[in-house]
Amino acid sequence: MKTKEALKQVCTNLLVTQTRSPEHKNGLGKMKNVLLNTATRLALKGLATQFNLRPGLRKYLKWADGWINFSVGLRTEDQSVAASIIFSNGHVNVADSISDHVDVTLILKDESILKKMAMSTPNELLNYILKNQVVIDGNMVFMQLFNFYLSLVLGRIHQHMLNRTNTADIRERKKAVGPCNKQLAEKLAARKAYRMKAAPGIDAGVKFLTDPYLSSYGIEQFPRLAASLDRHFTQKPEVCPERPLLLTRWFRKNGFETDVNGKPWVPELRQAESFKYLMENKSPVIGKNDLLAGCTTTKPVGVLLFPDAHGAMIWGELKSSEKRVLNPFACTPKTADILHHEVFPFWTHRNFREVMREKYNTPLPLLIDERFVAYFVWKSVGISHTIPDFKRVLEKGLAGIIADIDARLLESRLSPDQKNSLTAMKTSLEGVIAYAAHLSENAFRLAAKETDKKRKAELIHMARICGKVPSGPAQSLDEALNAIWICWIAVNMENTNTGLSIGRLDQLLQPYFEMDMKTLLTSAEKEEYIKHAIEICGCFYMRMTDQVPVLPDIANYLFGGAGSTQAITLGGVTPDGKDAVNDMTYVLLKVTEMLAIRDANVNCRFHPGKNSDHYLKRLCEVNLITAATPIMHNDLAVFAALRQHGYPEADIRNWSATGCVEPTLSGRHFAHTGSILLNLVAAMEMALHNGTHPVMRWAVGPETGRVEDGDFKTFDEFYTAWAAQQGFIIDQAVALNNLYGKVHQEIRPTPYLSAVIDGCIKKGKDLVHGGALYNSSGTSNIGLVDVTDSLLVIKKLVFEDKAVSFERLKQVVDTDFANDPQLLAMVKNRVPLFGSGDPSAVAMANRVTNTIHDCYKKHLNYRGGPYTVGFWSMSQHVAYGTLSGPLPSGRLSAKAFTPGLTPSPNASLNFLDNIRAVAGLDPENMDNNIAFNVKLSPKPGESREKTIDDMHAYVKTYFNLGGMQMQFNVVTSETLKDAMANPENYRSLMVRISGYNAYFVTLNRDIQTELIERTEYGL
Amino acid sequence: MKPLVLEIKGNSLDDGPGIRSVVFFKGCPLDCKWCHNPESKRAQVEISYDSKVCIGCKTCITTCPNKAIAETNPFFIDRDACDLCFACVETCPSGALTRVGMEMSHDEILDRVIVDKPFFDTSHGGVTLSGGEPAFNMKFAGQTARKLKKNNIHVLLETCGLFDINRFYKHIYPYIDMIYFDIKLMDTDAHKKYCGADNSIILKNFSALQKKYANGGVPVLARTPLIPGITDTDGNLRAIGSWLASRDVQKIQIMAYHPMWIEKNAKIGMKLPISGNLVLSEWMSRESVERCKNILASEGLEVVV
Repeated sequence: MKTKEALKQVCTNLLVTQTRSPEHKNGLGKMKNVLLNTATRLALKGLATQFNLRPGLRKYLKWADGWINFSVGLRTEDQSVAASIIFSNGHVNVADSISDHVDVTLILKDESILKKMAMSTPNELLNYILKNQVVIDGNMVFMQLFNFYLSLVLGRIHQHMLNRTNTADIRERKKAVGPCNKQLAEKLAARKAYRMKAAPGIDAGVKFLTDPYLSSYGIEQFPRLAASLDRHFTQKPEVCPERPLLLTRWFRKNGFETDVNGKPWVPELRQAESFKYLMENKSPVIGKNDLLAGCTTTKPVGVLLFPDAHGAMIWGELKSSEKRVLNPFACTPKTADILHHEVFPFWTHRNFREVMREKYNTPLPLLIDERFVAYFVWKSVGISHTIPDFKRVLEKGLAGIIADIDARLLESRLSPDQKNSLTAMKTSLEGVIAYAAHLSENAFRLAAKETDKKRKAELIHMARICGKVPSGPAQSLDEALNAIWICWIAVNMENTNTGLSIGRLDQLLQPYFEMDMKTLLTSAEKEEYIKHAIEICGCFYMRMTDQVPVLPDIANYLFGGAGSTQAITLGGVTPDGKDAVNDMTYVLLKVTEMLAIRDANVNCRFHPGKNSDHYLKRLCEVNLITAATPIMHNDLAVFAALRQHGYPEADIRNWSATGCVEPTLSGRHFAHTGSILLNLVAAMEMALHNGTHPVMRWAVGPETGRVEDGDFKTFDEFYTAWAAQQGFIIDQAVALNNLYGKVHQEIRPTPYLSAVIDGCIKKGKDLVHGGALYNSSGTSNIGLVDVTDSLLVIKKLVFEDKAVSFERLKQVVDTDFANDPQLLAMVKNRVPLFGSGDPSAVAMANRVTNTIHDCYKKHLNYRGGPYTVGFWSMSQHVAYGTLSGPLPSGRLSAKAFTPGLTPSPNASLNFLDNIRAVAGLDPENMDNNIAFNVKLSPKPGESREKTIDDMHAYVKTYFNLGGMQMQFNVVTSETLKDAMANPENYRSLMVRISGYNAYFVTLNRDIQTELIERTEYGL
Repeated sequence: MKPLVLEIKGNSLDDGPGIRSVVFFKGCPLDCKWCHNPESKRAQVEISYDSKVCIGCKTCITTCPNKAIAETNPFFIDRDACDLCFACVETCPSGALTRVGMEMSHDEILDRVIVDKPFFDTSHGGVTLSGGEPAFNMKFAGQTARKLKKNNIHVLLETCGLFDINRFYKHIYPYIDMIYFDIKLMDTDAHKKYCGADNSIILKNFSALQKKYANGGVPVLARTPLIPGITDTDGNLRAIGSWLASRDVQKIQIMAYHPMWIEKNAKIGMKLPISGNLVLSEWMSRESVERCKNILASEGLEVVV
């Protein structure tokens, strides 16, 4: 009895001292660390032993050129736990410390994360990384390789965990939404059945279509397209190793940094030679039943890889990408082996990010970038968001362009650099011509074997076309489309397939359509030809949509559901200012309506006073039928935004959308319009925390004052602090973009794209050196409305009404409003927000956009061009939302921002208030365009004509008031909820995120929720 | 007492052609049991409390100088004790407490709707004067309409039809472009019972306006709200149909019943005016609307829903 009590006493004492005495606690902490350190090392040693002993694993320690040597460190922020694993010449060892020469280190916020990590699936780990609970310091490709090794050992366990989470998720969704309502899906599909007719003779440019709306055509008349659509929605995209394998083979033989003679390569020539080799050796695939020859990959629906640009970002998932929940990719074991043994190890250091890290010694702008919260610089992925000059390609042919280059090469006084650049352009064009010739040969070969008469004729027709274009000028619609397609394949062989765009397709094709039409005599022939035109354009869309960018699972959270986002542009005015709407505009709108696919991303220009209402109504009807496309732009506002650059008016009138929505002067402008995606909320959080970002836990910004100390006596003082933080973030992002530009110049000039963009031949300069006639870099700034609303709340409640002190407001915001619902209610009800109808809120938004505009305009890019400022958000408003803390606007922690610059649902119940606010923004501050997202729900039973009249009235008035861009989701929240729980009924349900289209069921749950929560306006 | 405006609602697609702003006047000569805007009936200012919006912070309880607010009160506010000082409305953070009815000048009304003129122009819409009963304050509504007309705004009047027609001709008729005229019940006794007044003036007024319309006057559209068991009976609809047809009316609009008005009564401290067996808590089914439509169509009318 006595001993028992004594023991109890001792225990109690121990506990008390443990909680009271810090030294004692540290002592225990250290003991724990010893345990954790031991456990970590044991786990790594277990891994090492497996690789050292199991032949099935050992084979992955080497690749074609030898052993893969690298090391990975693992430690907590305060070094309480530290260990590393070293892969060296076929041996795997574990060390108790991390060497200075380690390739990459995982830094954990604290020990608790270590335990969580051990129990988490790979995509949960990604979330820790995004949320800065785990920071990766060092070479990302080696991190990917390490993940690949882990997946070889733990893949089964991970898959089991993923399956379990997934099953639970599906069960939970169904439970939350209730019973499936099949009628909703049926109603949506039924929209296709009714199609409005239109009278001829309204649009001057429409010369042949008797019903411009082409209402008699539906997908059921095009079995070829229907079959392609079915394939698109049923076939998993498959990773295609062809491109990286051919390129890597060439580089291993011919060298990358130096050539076979040990001489440093001229980057332009190296890129051109390797590109030519790729094009010459690429399989000349002709799709089953396709009307267009050629394919970017060897797969029916293929995933393109660019380890030479953005590294081997799919390495860690080669064994698991097929089974992941969102947007799975098939990857055969053979492909995985090829990529591991013959491709990826070559590129561990030869990609944009790692060259940047080594060359500039991990500069501050890169460090910030790698914390995910503040910005994303697209040049780490590649050259994207650009439009070639297809008009010249069609009119001259590539041979004609080569002749131009030859003529330039004969000129005296060319510098060696110019000569090299021009030679490289020529070499790359030769590669494309060779590829077309192979396509022609293959088409003849297939025709010879073909037994079906009709198909045989099609193949012979294609063979002849590829024998002629793109080398020679196009002389028919079929030739023009095949020429564009072949050149498009080449664009996507040279540069990463994100946001690269086609330009004004209706303007490009109309002359050839007319040429063909003029040869036809009877109306039956003409009708048959129009049907053919629809079909071949449909094939073009399908080909575009069936090449998919490589998305590691992390991208499902950052860029949910995005395809390649290849914009095509229709309508507007001609360079000389006339109505540009023509027959092909309506043909392409028909294709857009019938296919309703995410890619091509169709953007339509409307010029008030020049384009007809009848055309605008058609845009509305296509939006209604497809639920989410096309995007609509107001030419006058875009012109007003572009004029500040002093471009010639004719070029401004010839703008087309790039990627999501961004304007590029077609064919003569390297605008890299998706250079920077920047989180505006980061600077707001830093301004509220004196330069420290709470999620990054890093005092990275300037010290601009402490709210707690009453440092801000007036609203303007706080505004200045915010502007300083915003300026700091923008400076860093711009610096990173410019440094990446230099890296591009060093390792990745782009001779083929240079040859087909106006200016490069004349200047004898590659695009990356500023060869294009016009140069700029485009940015997208995300969270405008959340920042504006936060400023409005601070201004009104703290400084005008004095309803709450700034200290108190901040205190409450920091607790996610948990301890003061009254203040949250005031924030939501007492402050006229952006979109409320209050003119001073619009003035605040203009002040903010102007400040951001000025921050960017201080800088020039690495090609001497300006930065342009956009307010669209892809899906970053959701991703950045999850990575951001609560805001004075009443937006809670981790909630999505509003998409693009769409007003918050709290602002007003009246849609017209929203429209007026967005239309009231000064276009000069938005020269990289905007995304105004509007969700409409058509009234059941209302006639199509009335619904379209109403939609038209909204868009038209918005444009009349000066609005720049508008995009719709014509679907009810009820339907979206049903789709969330019953994805099997909605495989083709398309939605507009904030710039691009995606299939709803392929989106992560946060993005789905954001779409559901958007304000819905009835029609 | 000055005339009051209940609310100005923008972006309506259901109150006439195109996109419209609707000016709801306060005060009505009828007292329809099912009134979908019960807060528009009285011509006086009122206070409204929305329990769904309330966050329960009790600020109002401490603010009220008359101690008229208590959570135990079924209507939250004791309207007898309340002297409508609106101190609670000013301090309410959530917007659950609101003032119902504002004094507005014609210019203020014009200022509020003119911002939507660009939408009226593209959609062939305009302003709808509604209520309450706009003709309840004949001069005020008329002056408002005149102001709007002067600014080239299309004006539509929604009316219950109970007004002095001569004054109507003088003050309102010249300034409006279209009339939506409610015909609710044909039986006089039923009209008295459910709408609180005789319908003979209403029917007379309709006949007169319809006659003018036939001779090139302002278009009139007859409208019948379908209230289950009250106005949607076969007998009533047949009677309306044949009465209209005999006056050469070609078109009628029917408005399907919805129950969204029910909780509005409690907000302004009113008990539900209808009780008993009527099924008023559900949305009207498509079949019921179809049945009503067919009855009226069988009388030779074009029926819009």
